[in-house]
Amino acid sequence: MRPILMKGHERPLTFLRYNRDGDLLFSCAKDHTPTVWYADNGDRLGTYRGHNGAVWTCDVSRDSARLITGSADQTAKLWEVSTGKELFSFRFDAPARSVEFAIGDALAVVTTDNFMDHVPTVQVKRIAEDIDDQTEESALVITGIKGRINRAVWGPLNRTIITAGEDATIRIWDSETGQLLKESDKESGHQKTISSLSKSLDWSHFITGSLDKSAKLWDTRTLTLIKTYVTERPVNAVDISPTHDTVVLGGGQDAMNVTMTDRRAGKFEAKFYHKILQEEIGGVKGHFGPINALAFNPDGRSFSSGGEDGYVRLHHFDSDYFSIKM
Amino acid sequence: MAGMAPEGSQFDAKHYDSKMQELLSTGETEEFFTSYDEVFESFDDMGLQENLLRGIYAYGFEKPSAIQQRGIVPFCKGLDVIQQAQSGTGKTATFCSGILQQLDYGLVECQALVLAPTRELAQQIEKVMRALGDYLGVKVHACVGGTSVREDQRILGSGVHVVVGTPGRVFDMLRRQSLRPDNIKMFVLDEADEMLSRGFKDQIYDIFQLLPAKIQVGVFSATMPPEALEITRKFMNKPVRILVKRDELTLEGIKQFYVNVDKEDWKLDTLCDLYETLAITQSVIFVNTRRKVDWLTDKMRSRDHTVSATHGDMDQNTRDIIMREFRSGSSRVLITTDLLARGIDVQQVSLVINYDLPTQPENYLHRIGRSGRFGRKGVAINFVTRDDERMLFDIQKFYNVLIEELPANVADLL
Repeated sequence: MRPILMKGHERPLTFLRYNRDGDLLFSCAKDHTPTVWYADNGDRLGTYRGHNGAVWTCDVSRDSARLITGSADQTAKLWEVSTGKELFSFRFDAPARSVEFAIGDALAVVTTDNFMDHVPTVQVKRIAEDIDDQTEESALVITGIKGRINRAVWGPLNRTIITAGEDATIRIWDSETGQLLKESDKESGHQKTISSLSKSLDWSHFITGSLDKSAKLWDTRTLTLIKTYVTERPVNAVDISPTHDTVVLGGGQDAMNVTMTDRRAGKFEAKFYHKILQEEIGGVKGHFGPINALAFNPDGRSFSSGGEDGYVRLHHFDSDYFSIKM
Repeated sequence: MAGMAPEGSQFDAKHYDSKMQELLSTGETEEFFTSYDEVFESFDDMGLQENLLRGIYAYGFEKPSAIQQRGIVPFCKGLDVIQQAQSGTGKTATFCSGILQQLDYGLVECQALVLAPTRELAQQIEKVMRALGDYLGVKVHACVGGTSVREDQRILGSGVHVVVGTPGRVFDMLRRQSLRPDNIKMFVLDEADEMLSRGFKDQIYDIFQLLPAKIQVGVFSATMPPEALEITRKFMNKPVRILVKRDELTLEGIKQFYVNVDKEDWKLDTLCDLYETLAITQSVIFVNTRRKVDWLTDKMRSRDHTVSATHGDMDQNTRDIIMREFRSGSSRVLITTDLLARGIDVQQVSLVINYDLPTQPENYLHRIGRSGRFGRKGVAINFVTRDDERMLFDIQKFYNVLIEELPANVADLL
C-alpha cells in the first residue's frame, strides 16, 4: 500500500480521530492548531486556531457539527467543525489532557494533569445545545488518582467512565456519583504507564497500549482481561478495526532516546495483530520518529498514523488485507 | 573546493585531545570551573516559577532531556555556564528557561542578550523564548540585520525584556544607544564556538565591552573545541561546564553514508538520480559557496526539479519567505551554504546531503544535525570525489563514526 503523506503540522502529532461517517480526519499536534483533512485523499480542509499550547486530544460530535479539543494551555475548547469558529473555552488549573463526548453529545469528559500542587482530575462537563447557554460548571469531578490520566472515555450507555494513565491501572467509575466501581488486576494488567486507549465500535471491549511494550484487550463491563499483544517496543497508540478482527499498535522508543541510538533501534512501524489469535499479521513502515497516534477509519478500509516526525500518514488497505486467513 | 586537510590541522585528534586535557586538568584550570552535579528528572523539581512551568508544559514538553536535567538549574542560579550537548537535544530550551526564570517582569528594560550567528537562528530562538515565556508576559525582540533599523529602534525604545540578535545589528543598536545595556544581567552565546571564531570574535568582544561588568554568561554549542574553550576563560567567571567528548558527539540516530562520485562533474547527475528520494520528506543540500548554491539551483531547475535555495547574499525578505515555506512543508528540497548548518530546527527534515564536504570539521556535525532532531531519526549522504577521500576518512576517525557506502535502496532508509 502506498501511503498518502499529510503535511501541515510543524511539530509532533499527538492524536488522530475520524468522525462517525469516516469522511473527515482530525489531527492534533504540539503546534497549537488542530487540523481537519478529507479522509479519502488527505487534502487539508482547515485548521482550528485559538489554542496557545500543544493540543493533546480531540473528539467530534456524532453529527460532525462540533469538535472538542484538550490542550496543554490549560483549556479545553469547543469549535464549530465547518467554520473553525471557537464556540467556548473551558479553563482549568492544569493542562487538559483527554477529552471525549458522551453518547448524545450532551456531556463531555475532560482530564487535567497533575501540575504543581494540583492533583489530576476527571471532570464531566455539560455541553449545551445552544452555545449561549454553555457554562464552565462541572457536573462531576473525580480526584484521588495518582499520576497523569492519559485517557478517559465513556462506558456503555454513558453510565461509566473508564480511566487509564501513569499508574498503569485502569479504573471504571460511576459517571453520576463518581464512585469507583472496578480496578484492573495488578498481576495481569499493565506494568507501566498506559499511554493510550481505544474502544471497539460497539464499546463492548477496549484496547490499551502501554510503555511496558504490550497492548491489552479488556471487557468494558467487567474489566476482565481478554487478550494481550506483546511487542518489542513501548506502545504509544492503539486502535481496533471496526470491521475486521485486527488491532493496530504503534510506538517506538522514547523520543528522548531516538537520536542517541542506532536507526534500527527505533521500531517505528505500525504493527497489526489478529485480535483473537494475538499473532502479528504485518507492519507498515514509514515514520522516522515514534508513532504517537493511530486510528482506523470507521469503514475499516483505511487507517492513519501520526508521528513524532510531524507527519500524518494515510493508508488505504490493499486487497491482501481483506483476504487474510489465519 | 574542500582540500585535503594537512596533518596537524583540523582533524588532528591527538592535538585536540591533549589541548582539551590541558585546559581541563591543570591546577590553574581546576580553579577556573565550578562543580555542579545535580540532576533533576522533572521540571517540577527544578524550583521554577509557576508561569514558566505553565509555558514549558504548554509548549508540549513533558520530561526534561539530558542537557535540560543538568543545565537549567545552574543557569537559574545565576552561575556562568558552558553547556555542550549533541544536536537537537534541547539546548535552546535550556537557556531560554534559565533566562525566563531570572527576569524581572516589572522592569521593561533589556535584561538578557542572546547572540546567534545567523538571522534565521536568532528568529527561531526568539520564537521559542516567546512561547515558553507567554504566561510570564515576556517581551522579546529579534534584532537581526537586513530588517528595518528604524523598526528595531522603535521596538527597543518601547521596552523589551530580552533581545535575541545577530552581532552586527546588536552592536549597531548598542552604539546608537537604542539598546541600553545598563540592566543587562545575562549574556548568552548560542553556537558559541562559531561566535568565538575568527569571523565573529571581534564583534563579540566589542559588544562585551559595552555590557555591565557584572554579568552572567552562558555559552552553548554542540561543538566546543579547545580553542573556543580557551577564549571563554577571558570573560567567564568560574563557569559550570557540561562537555561531551569529541568521539561521543555524533548522533547514532543519524545514519551516515557516502557516494563515490569520483569526479566533481558527476555530483549533479548523482543528485538528480536521488531527487525522487529527496522529495519524499524534506531535505537540505549543503554546498560550500554562495555562487555554487545559485549554480546548483539553476541546474536542478533546468532539469525540471523543484528546489528552493538560500544563502547569505540574498535579501532578507526572500530569505524569510524561503525559510517560512520550508518550515511549513510547502517546499521540500533546500539548497544552502553553512548559513543553515547550525541550530535550524525543521520538523520534517530527515535527509541531509553534503554535496560538498565542509571546509570546517565542526560543520560536518552541525550539518548532519539538521536531520535527526529530538525524537526523529535521520540520514546523511556525503558526495565524495577522489580528492575528498582523505577528508572523509579523517571525519570518521575524528568523530568515531562509521560512514558506509550508500545502498541502492535508499528510499527504504527514509
